[in-house]
Amino acid sequence: MAKTLLVGLGNPILTDDAIGWRVVEQTRDHFELGDVDIQLVCVGGLSLAELMIGYKRVIIVDSIITKRHLPGTVYHLALCSLPETLNSSSAHDTNLTTALEALRRFNAPLPDNDAIEFVAVEALDVWTFGESCTPDVAASIPTAAERVWSLLQS
Amino acid sequence: MTRITIDPITRLEGHGKIEIFLNEQGNVENCYLQIPELRGFEVFCLGRPAEEMPRLTDRICGVCPEAHHMAAAKALDALYHVDPPSPAKKLRELLYSAFYVTDHTTHFYALGGPDFVVGPDAPTAERNILGVIAKVGLEIGGQVIACRKRNHEVIKMIGGRAIHPVTALPGGMAHPITEEQRQQILEIARQNVEFAQFTIQLFHDVVLANSGYVDLIVSQGYTQKTYYMGLVDENNHVNFYDGKVRVVDPEGKEFIKYAPGEYIQHIAEHVEPWTYLKFPYLKKVGWKGFVDGKDSGIYMATPLSRLNAADGMATPLAQAEYEKMYETLGGKPVHHTLAIHWARVIELQYAAERMLQLAEDPEITSTNIRAIPTAIPTEGVGIVEAPRGTLTHHYKTDEKGLLTEVNLVVGTTNNNAPMYISVKKAAQALIHDGQVNDGILNRIEMAFRSYDPCMSCATHSLPGQMPLELIVRDVTGALVHHLSQYVQPELLESVK
Repeated sequence: MAKTLLVGLGNPILTDDAIGWRVVEQTRDHFELGDVDIQLVCVGGLSLAELMIGYKRVIIVDSIITKRHLPGTVYHLALCSLPETLNSSSAHDTNLTTALEALRRFNAPLPDNDAIEFVAVEALDVWTFGESCTPDVAASIPTAAERVWSLLQS
Repeated sequence: MTRITIDPITRLEGHGKIEIFLNEQGNVENCYLQIPELRGFEVFCLGRPAEEMPRLTDRICGVCPEAHHMAAAKALDALYHVDPPSPAKKLRELLYSAFYVTDHTTHFYALGGPDFVVGPDAPTAERNILGVIAKVGLEIGGQVIACRKRNHEVIKMIGGRAIHPVTALPGGMAHPITEEQRQQILEIARQNVEFAQFTIQLFHDVVLANSGYVDLIVSQGYTQKTYYMGLVDENNHVNFYDGKVRVVDPEGKEFIKYAPGEYIQHIAEHVEPWTYLKFPYLKKVGWKGFVDGKDSGIYMATPLSRLNAADGMATPLAQAEYEKMYETLGGKPVHHTLAIHWARVIELQYAAERMLQLAEDPEITSTNIRAIPTAIPTEGVGIVEAPRGTLTHHYKTDEKGLLTEVNLVVGTTNNNAPMYISVKKAAQALIHDGQVNDGILNRIEMAFRSYDPCMSCATHSLPGQMPLELIVRDVTGALVHHLSQYVQPELLESVK
């Protein structure tokens, strides 16, 4: 198992919700990632936390809606700097931070919280089924991929 | 009039909103439940080859892709006029049973259970899986995680992937399982049966042994009398994967029983201008507004509904607990929505036992798992019981098998009207003289949460899980109270 896990998170057929997948695919296709495992998934909460077992470091790429910045804006977020309203929660169990804490209590080998980072892209439409992101969000894919690559180098 | 907004609903993803309107006396005048709906799935599907649907529809939802995968595969069986061989049906049901075990386990211990195990008035931050672990012990928490892990392995073994399975095809399954795999599944199923027994005992010890909780469950604020829907087998026993849809009236008498292809004759949908989500109802009774009772066509499709709609469970341990529940709660049907949690652990027991039965079946390793479709596709309906309610997929194609019509009636949609009534009843029972606090709001949410509704759960955008936002306005519309744990956007550092 590689030490680093790169996760593209979201629904690949839900317009901008697919941005996590698209950025990870671009990163994979344009850079030599080496010893990095890749997962493209649509899960949250416990299921997402369970994916991280055995890794030292995790980078998650996802969409975000703050309505404070323009669609396509790229953010770099640390897990520990996010409030409990972190996205990657599941409607049917719990949020990611709680899920990670629960797994740690059972001695699951998980990365430290400061080794879990997010690259997020401001989305416009995550409610309409479609295979393409909206134009501004799609245009951000190279920037976000470079950001992921830069994080992987650090 | 005072306005209270619970927006969005704690621990439920998406932009669901409960708005409660108080009158001059501070009592509940009315309330609205709004659940978002993802848009354009039917249009998205049109023109695509129908055989893509089992892999496409399981992308609708990140929580119950197995349910969509199975409903789609069954719809394709009907569409292509092909009957899968018996081993293929059993293999599908085996996968589906493993899915049910993990889904119901997760709900009980992580989402619904905290309200009882930790307590409905406990601080929000403690009403989660960590609070449950603190109460019941680390060892039990470890069993929950282990249960999820081993059943995900079964889903991957049969479904090809642990998430979003790919193996159900029109006419059967893509690959069989080996004897070695069967032995592994057998052992996992035995562990599941034991774990389900333990969970039921825990429910008795923590919930039923507490008279306060039992009083809460049977209280009027959490009671409504509707029709109940669920799939049943030839003996009218609960079945998650196959059978006919049976609906009983509020007195428990069979009202209708129909094959999947006949659903359109029995179910219609009401539209309200204030929400995108439709309100299904029974055609023969008709839409009479948001009221319960025999004269209203509103029906419920939940774990409790399935038990109410059936004559019993097909496995012994689940049947024993089924009888215990009805004996304790005063006979059939049970109208108390919080009893959905009890029904859910009974279904967990059934799923585990059914999994064991299927793993012990010599036919389960047969390689006769596919009947190749040869007929020209036309129209097909597939129905399974998703954990959150009856799930219907309906497809029509042209002679080349390209989709021309798609209609899905998902579990949460079935329960849209009952959830609305539940929230209103709970609010009316709990809010008096304008007095509102966190405990009361959580108890209102409990009425909603017992359904485990799926609010556009395919969407994972940050911040996906919205916290509780409470807004109270006086009669002039002025803000008098605001509770919020919303994301602080200033924490987000833009890099572009």
